[in-house]
Amino acid sequence: MSGARFRSRSSFAISLLVPLALIGIVTLVGASGRPAFQGTVTLILCNLIVVLGLQVFVGNSGVYSFGQLGFATAGAYVAALLTLPPAFALLQTPGLPSFIADAQLGALPATLIAAAIAGLLAVAVGLPLMRTSTLAIPISTFAFLVVVYNVTANWDRVTGGSSGLVSIPTTTSVESAGLWAAVAAVLAIAFKWSASGYRLQATREDEVAARSIGIGVMRERLIAFGISGVLCGIGGALAVHQSGVLNPTTFYFGATVTTMTMLVVGGARSVLGAVVGAIAIATVNEMLRGIENGADLFGAISVGAAPGLAAIGLGLILLATMIAMPDGLSGGREAGELPWVRRLGPTASSPPSGAPAALAGRSQVEAVEKGALRAEEISIAFSGLRVLKKVDLELEPGEALGLIGPNGAGKTTLVNVLSGFQGPDSGTVTLDGVDVTGGTPTRLARDGLGRTFQASLPFPHLTALESVAVGAMGIGIGRRRAAAVAADVLDRLSLLGQAALPAGSLTPAGQRLLGVARALATHPRYLLLDEPAAGLNEVECGELAEILHGVLGDFGCGILLIEHEMSIVMELCPRIQVLDDGTTLCVGAPEEVQADPAVVEAYLGHSFQAVANA
Amino acid sequence: MGMMNFAHGEFIMLAAYALYVFAGLPFPAAVASALLTGIAIALFAERVAFRPVRSADLSTQLVTSLAVAAILQNVVTAAVDARAQSVATPASLSESTSIGGFSVPNLEFVTLGLTAIVLAGLGWLLYRTRTGLAMRAAAENFDMARLLGVRADRVIAISFAISGALAAAVGVLIVMQTGQVTPTMGLTPVLIGFVAVVIGGFGRMFGAVIGGLLLGVLSSLLGAYLPDGLAPFRDAIVFTFPVLILIFRPHGLLGGEVGRARV
Amino acid sequence: MLELRGIRVSYGRTEVVHGIDVGVGRGEVLGMIGPNGAGKSSILRSICGLMRPSGGEATFERRVLNGMAPERIARLGLALVPEGRHVFKTLTVAENLRLGARSDDEVALRIEPTLERFPILRERAHQRADRLSGGEQQQLAIARALLGRPKLLILDEPSLGLAPKTIDLIYELLEGLREEGMTMLLVEQNAARTIAFSDRCVVLGAGKVRAEGSREELQRDPDVLHAYLGRQP
Repeated sequence: MSGARFRSRSSFAISLLVPLALIGIVTLVGASGRPAFQGTVTLILCNLIVVLGLQVFVGNSGVYSFGQLGFATAGAYVAALLTLPPAFALLQTPGLPSFIADAQLGALPATLIAAAIAGLLAVAVGLPLMRTSTLAIPISTFAFLVVVYNVTANWDRVTGGSSGLVSIPTTTSVESAGLWAAVAAVLAIAFKWSASGYRLQATREDEVAARSIGIGVMRERLIAFGISGVLCGIGGALAVHQSGVLNPTTFYFGATVTTMTMLVVGGARSVLGAVVGAIAIATVNEMLRGIENGADLFGAISVGAAPGLAAIGLGLILLATMIAMPDGLSGGREAGELPWVRRLGPTASSPPSGAPAALAGRSQVEAVEKGALRAEEISIAFSGLRVLKKVDLELEPGEALGLIGPNGAGKTTLVNVLSGFQGPDSGTVTLDGVDVTGGTPTRLARDGLGRTFQASLPFPHLTALESVAVGAMGIGIGRRRAAAVAADVLDRLSLLGQAALPAGSLTPAGQRLLGVARALATHPRYLLLDEPAAGLNEVECGELAEILHGVLGDFGCGILLIEHEMSIVMELCPRIQVLDDGTTLCVGAPEEVQADPAVVEAYLGHSFQAVANA
Repeated sequence: MGMMNFAHGEFIMLAAYALYVFAGLPFPAAVASALLTGIAIALFAERVAFRPVRSADLSTQLVTSLAVAAILQNVVTAAVDARAQSVATPASLSESTSIGGFSVPNLEFVTLGLTAIVLAGLGWLLYRTRTGLAMRAAAENFDMARLLGVRADRVIAISFAISGALAAAVGVLIVMQTGQVTPTMGLTPVLIGFVAVVIGGFGRMFGAVIGGLLLGVLSSLLGAYLPDGLAPFRDAIVFTFPVLILIFRPHGLLGGEVGRARV
Repeated sequence: MLELRGIRVSYGRTEVVHGIDVGVGRGEVLGMIGPNGAGKSSILRSICGLMRPSGGEATFERRVLNGMAPERIARLGLALVPEGRHVFKTLTVAENLRLGARSDDEVALRIEPTLERFPILRERAHQRADRLSGGEQQQLAIARALLGRPKLLILDEPSLGLAPKTIDLIYELLEGLREEGMTMLLVEQNAARTIAFSDRCVVLGAGKVRAEGSREELQRDPDVLHAYLGRQP
C-alpha cells in the first residue's frame, strides 16, 4: 500500500505555498512603503508569528490558552536585555547580572536565545498546566499571563518595572520579519501534519476516543505548547526590536484579545486561517485606528476622534464571528482543502490500489504466544449501587465472545473496566498474563487492547483515512506506515472509497464501522465492540457480521461483542456470556443460552423465544 | 455556567462605574442604580451575545465571553477614561466596630452578611422552587426543557439577571474597599473566581465559596508575613498557588465526581 | 388531530424530507417505520418546533405549528419522548417528573396514578436520573411526558438500545395507554412489532412515504415492505 497518502501532492503544495505567498506579498508591499509604513507592516508580520504560535497550540488541540502572550513577553524581555547597550542596561535595569548587562548581542543570536528560553519556559509551565483537565487550561493559562505581568511590572531592577525598557536597538526589518514569518508558517504546517500533530488533532476531535487509541493527551499538548511558546517568543523578540520600547502591558490583555481575534476570525484549525486572519484583522485595525484619530471616511464623512474605537471594533468582529461563523474565514481548512480548489484539481487523496500489504496483525505475528484477556472477580459500585459483583470473563485471541444482558446489567461498565476507563473496586484484569488493573486507556491500547464506543465518537474534521491512520500513530507507528496500515484496514472493511471524505460526513453506520477500523489500526490483540449494530437495519447488520467474521480471520484478534441485536450475536459468537444485575447468569453456546430459563426470564422475554422458535 | 466567563468581571466593573457615575445621589439610590446596571447589562449581553452561541461548543462560548469583556472594557475606557477614578465611601461603612479587642471594619460585616444571604437565597431558589428546577434543567439540556413546556429563554434570562445582580453587589463592595474604579478592575475578580473554582472543584457552588475564603486568608497571610522584597509579588504567588494544587489534584481540591454517571 | 401536508425538511442546503403527507386521527395509533436516514427524526423535530420545516404545513387541531416555539407546542398538548430518552441526568426522578407537569398543583393531582402505572419510579423517586438503567429511563421519559396531560404522545424509537424483555414491558405500558384512548405517533426501526402494534403504519424511505396502510393490509402483503426495507422485517 505504498500509494497511500493523506493528500495529493498538489493539495499539499497549494496548502504550503498559499500562506507563504500571502506572507511574501505583505512583505513586498511593506518594503515598498515609507519608513513609518514599513514599521507598521513589520509589526503586523511579528503579530502574525505570534498568531501562528497560537495556531499551533490552540488550533490543533482545540483548547484555548490565554497565556501564550506571556511567552511573547518573556521572549521580548530576554531579547531586549541581551541587545541593550551596556550603558542603557545600567540605567534601566541595575539589578541585571553583569554578564547579561554587558552583553550586546546581534539581532539573530538574541532572537534565538529568546526563542529557546521562551520554549523552555513553555515546557516548564506546560508540565503542570497540561496535566489539568481540559476546562482548567484556559483559566490557568490566563493566571499565568497575569503572573507574568505581575512579575515584569514589579521586578524593577531587572525588567525596568512598569515603565519598561526604552532605547532597544531597532534591528528588525520588514524583510527579516517576513522571513521569520515564512519559517513559522512552514513549521506550523509541518507540525500539524506530523504524527504528533495528528495525534493532537485527534484529542481535539474527541478526547475519549483519542485516549482509547493510545494517545497520551498530556504529552501531545505539551509538545504543541512548547512549540507555541517558541514561536510566540520569536514574535515578541522581533516586535520589540521594531518598536524599540517594551513594557509589561505590551503583550498583555489587549494583545491577547487582538491575536485571539486574528486566529479565530481566520479559522483556528488551519495555518491558512492564522495567516489570513492576522492580515485581515491587522488591516481592519489600522483602518479603525485611522478613524480613531478623526480621519475622513472616503473623503466625504468627517468623524471626530474616538479613542478605543479600534479595540471595540475588533471585539465586535470577534463576537460576530463567534455567532455567525465560528469556523472562521477559512472554515478550518488549509488552502489545498478549500472546496473551490478541490473542484479545480485532483482529489485530496488518491485511494490506493493493489494487493493488500502484509498487514500482520499483532496477533498473527505473536500467534505462537497463547495469551488471554482475563477479568477476575471484578467488582465495582457507584454511590452504593453495586454495578458489578465479582464478574469473571475470559477472551482468547481469535475467538468471538458475545456479551449480552439487560440494560443496567453492567456490560458497558465491564468494558470500561477492561479498557481502563474505570478502575474496579476489587478484582484484577490481566492482559496476556500481565496485571493491567487500573491502567490508563492509553497504556492498555498500547498493550494491545482496542475498543469502540456506543456513540462511535468519530473525528469529524479528519478524513476517514486520517482518522484510522491516527489509530496506528497512537501506538507509535510513523506517519507513512500508518497511512498504509489505514488504507489496508479501510479496504478490508469496504470503506476505502470514502477514505478522502471527512469522517463527520459518513452515515451513522459508516461512522460505526470507521470506529472499528480505527481500533483495528492499533493492532489489537483484543477488540471490545460496544453495541456496533445499534441502529443498523437488517441489511447493515448482515454486512457487519460478515465484516467481523473477516476481522477474526485476518487480524486474529479476540472480539468481545456487546450487543442487543440477537441475530448478529448468535451468528458470530460460538460462546456467549449473559450478564444480569452485575453477575454472570451463564456462559455457553448460543443454543444453551437461548434455552436457559434464567436468561429467558431476565432478558430475552417470552416473545423472543416464540419468534425464535417460529 | 460551568466555564470561565470573562464577561462577568466586566459586569462587576460596569456596576462599579454606575456607582461612580451616580455618586452624587444618596448612597442607597446609587447602590440601586448599580444593581440595575448590573442586571441590565447582563440581560443585554445574554440576549445579544450569549443566546446565539448557546448551542455551540464550550470553546466558542468562552471566546464569546472574551469578546464581550473586551468590548465592555474598551467602551468604558473610551467613554470615561483609562485612569482610575475615585469614589467616596459613606462614613458608616468606613468605620470599625470593636469585637473582643479586635477592631473589625464595618464593611467586613456587610460583606459577610451579604455572602451568607446570597448563598442561602441561591440555594433556596435553585433547589426548592420550580423556577430553580427549570433553571437547572435548562442548563443541562435546553431543548428538552423546551419540549416539556419550560419557557427556557425566560429561565436563562433570569439566571443571567441574577448573576448580574450578584456582579453588581461585588462591584459595590470592591468600590467600598478600594475607593476607586478602573476599566481593568474586572480582570481580578475573574481570577479570584478561578482560584475559588480550582480550590473548590468545578461546578460546585459551595466549593467555590470555600475557595474564595481560602484565597482571602492566603492573601492576608502573605500580606502580613511576606518579606519586604517579595511584597510586590504577592499577587503572583497567590495565583501560582492554585496552579500547584491543580498539579496534584486536576479536578480541584474538593473535586471529584459525586455519583458517577453511567458511561 | 395532527396533519402534515407537503412537509419538507432541510439541513442547510440538503433536503432530507421531500414532501410528505401524514395524518393522525384522535385516538389512533400511527406507526412510522423506515431505515436510518429515512427522515423520521427530522420530521419529528419539525413537528415539535425544534426545527422549522423548509416547506409544507404542520397543523395540530387546526393550529399551524410551523415556526411556533417548542414550549408553546408542548402547551398545546403535544408531548415528545425523544430518541435517547433525554432525562435530566443531574435531577432526581421526582424532579424530572415535576418538570413534566404544567404546575405544582398538577403534580399533586397526577402523581399518584402515574406512580401506580410506573412502580419502579416510585422506588427510585429520589435517585438521580443518571443512575437509572435504559429501560427505567425510558419509563421515566414516558411518565414525564404523560404528566403534562398530552393530547398526542409522540415516541421516537422507544425500543432503541433496550433488551428484548424491556421492550416487551414498554409496549405493555403503551398498550395500556392505547386502551385509555391516548393518541400516539410511534416512530420505530423495528418494523414487525410496530406494524403489529399500530392501527395504521406509514413506511418512510429516503425522505418520502413509500407505503401506507392498516395493520391488516400490511401484514397481508409483506412484499410492499420488502421492497423498501430490504429483507424480511
